[in-house]
Amino acid sequence: MDAAADRSHVALTADGLGRLFDDRWAVRGVSFAVHRGEVLGLLGPNGAGKTTTVRMLTALIRPSEGTATVDGFDVRDQPEAVRGRVGILTETPGLYDKLSATANLDFFGRLYGLEPGIRTQRIEHYLRLFSLWDRRDDVAGTFSKGMKQKLAIARALLHDPSVVFLDEPTAALDPEAAFIVREAIETLRHVGRTIVLATHNLDEADRLCDRIAFVRGGLLRIDSPAALRGDVGGRGLTLRLRDAVAADQLEAVRGVPGVRDADAADGALHVRTDKPEAVAPAVVRALVACGADILELRPERPTLERIYFEVMGVTPGADALEDHV
Amino acid sequence: MRRSIVWTVLQREWFETVRNRLLMSTILIPPILLTVAPLLLSAAVGQSALPPELAEQVLQQRPEWATFTPGELAGAFAVQQFLVFFLLMPAYIPLSIATFSIIGEKQARSLEPVLATPIRTSELLAGKAVAALVPGVLAGWVTYVIFVVLASVVYGPALFGVVTDPSWLAGVFLLGPAVGLSSVVAGVIVSARVNDPRAAQQIGGVVIVPVVALTLLQATGTLLVGAPGYVLLSIIVLAVSIVGLRIGVRLFDREAILTRWR
Repeated sequence: MDAAADRSHVALTADGLGRLFDDRWAVRGVSFAVHRGEVLGLLGPNGAGKTTTVRMLTALIRPSEGTATVDGFDVRDQPEAVRGRVGILTETPGLYDKLSATANLDFFGRLYGLEPGIRTQRIEHYLRLFSLWDRRDDVAGTFSKGMKQKLAIARALLHDPSVVFLDEPTAALDPEAAFIVREAIETLRHVGRTIVLATHNLDEADRLCDRIAFVRGGLLRIDSPAALRGDVGGRGLTLRLRDAVAADQLEAVRGVPGVRDADAADGALHVRTDKPEAVAPAVVRALVACGADILELRPERPTLERIYFEVMGVTPGADALEDHV
Repeated sequence: MRRSIVWTVLQREWFETVRNRLLMSTILIPPILLTVAPLLLSAAVGQSALPPELAEQVLQQRPEWATFTPGELAGAFAVQQFLVFFLLMPAYIPLSIATFSIIGEKQARSLEPVLATPIRTSELLAGKAVAALVPGVLAGWVTYVIFVVLASVVYGPALFGVVTDPSWLAGVFLLGPAVGLSSVVAGVIVSARVNDPRAAQQIGGVVIVPVVALTLLQATGTLLVGAPGYVLLSIIVLAVSIVGLRIGVRLFDREAILTRWR
């Protein structure tokens, strides 16, 4: 089956998923579907309900309402079957430090019921894939954080799961270790793994995910990064001119239909518009008509950070400012 | 319950246990001391007779010892005190292993990946419980056998008869495993709430209190428990353990571990 056809199949569904702890909803009303080969990011602040969502989807805890399926198996009614079809990297690697890399994987391979021959073959495959083969007989306690995280990812893949859940895979890692782990996730992405990546690292989500689900006590929005950039966040054009921006040039640009505002800053002309591609030719014509020499024109892409704040409905630093007022 | 999964858990537990030097020293050193100490003590005491009042009290509870010489009676009484020490091994060894195992996993946060596999919590608990129980019970039994052999070689048939009478057999082979099970249950329950293995052992050590009480009663000659007494005690301890096990299973529930264990 080619990748395109494979993606048409749904690997994971969530329908009105919610979990109540005592009298507090950790998360509620989560609904989405993840296709095979897709990487879905769960993005939200600490305490947003990402880990709870992952735990419900992996049949680790029961939903208080709603349901979810993995490969058609219900997390409520067939939790064992679901757990056999998902792989999970928990927030901490949770390895057995006194066991070697091979023994750690062998233990989990046995829990997943893998035959000895297949177990040996897959252990070697994943240890080589994540460049841990040379350290296979060393106990996990001697590994760096990045190596431990890679070993934990290998553990999550050992039984060839339909969906791999990675919960904060680079949290608490130094930049080098985080890089190693992101490379490992990139590798999985390229081989067509279905991945749910819970993170609050915006750059990571932007780089690795096909779609991003914003979670904060519930599902706020789910879309591809490109679609989010199209719909959310400030948009515009940046133009660099040979000479300083003149007042008449600024007025001419402001008069172009579709342009909301324009100003000159940092030696460039910034044009705010909802449709940068549509207004760009008219802006260029208006500037040329005013005698401007244009050196560069590029659309302004809102950062995922800006989109994040807009979707979450928060203004960064607002609380801190209020505290001081 | 799938035996292959329980066996997998059990093997890993033992693998980690033998690599834990502190734990291994607490498992291995006391049995050696408990084998040698009774023999040395009875050798020392065996040279002199018991005070007449105590000898009379002992013979009232153990009329079968009436044929012993005063030295043999003193030796038998001294050795008898040590039966309860053979109950301490199945009490403290499983407690040590269970608390180190469960709290160790809590500290390393290694339970969540395990619970994310298709393992049933009953299989995980069974693997851990058996892994903790077996070394303690086996240590008690092996030490007892060595003790009997040494006692018979050093002191002859009189003391051999004492240490192999039905009370000893019931104590070592029935009450020992029952005490071991209660110890595992205590380990599971306490470990669910405590984050330090030593604190867990101290709290779980409450299980040993009745055994110590039994020691004191025997040492003063107030109560020399016979075979029926040990069988009855085994049944009581087993019943209490089963009730405790139900509490332990509930605490060992998948959701409880993930959401309540801190």
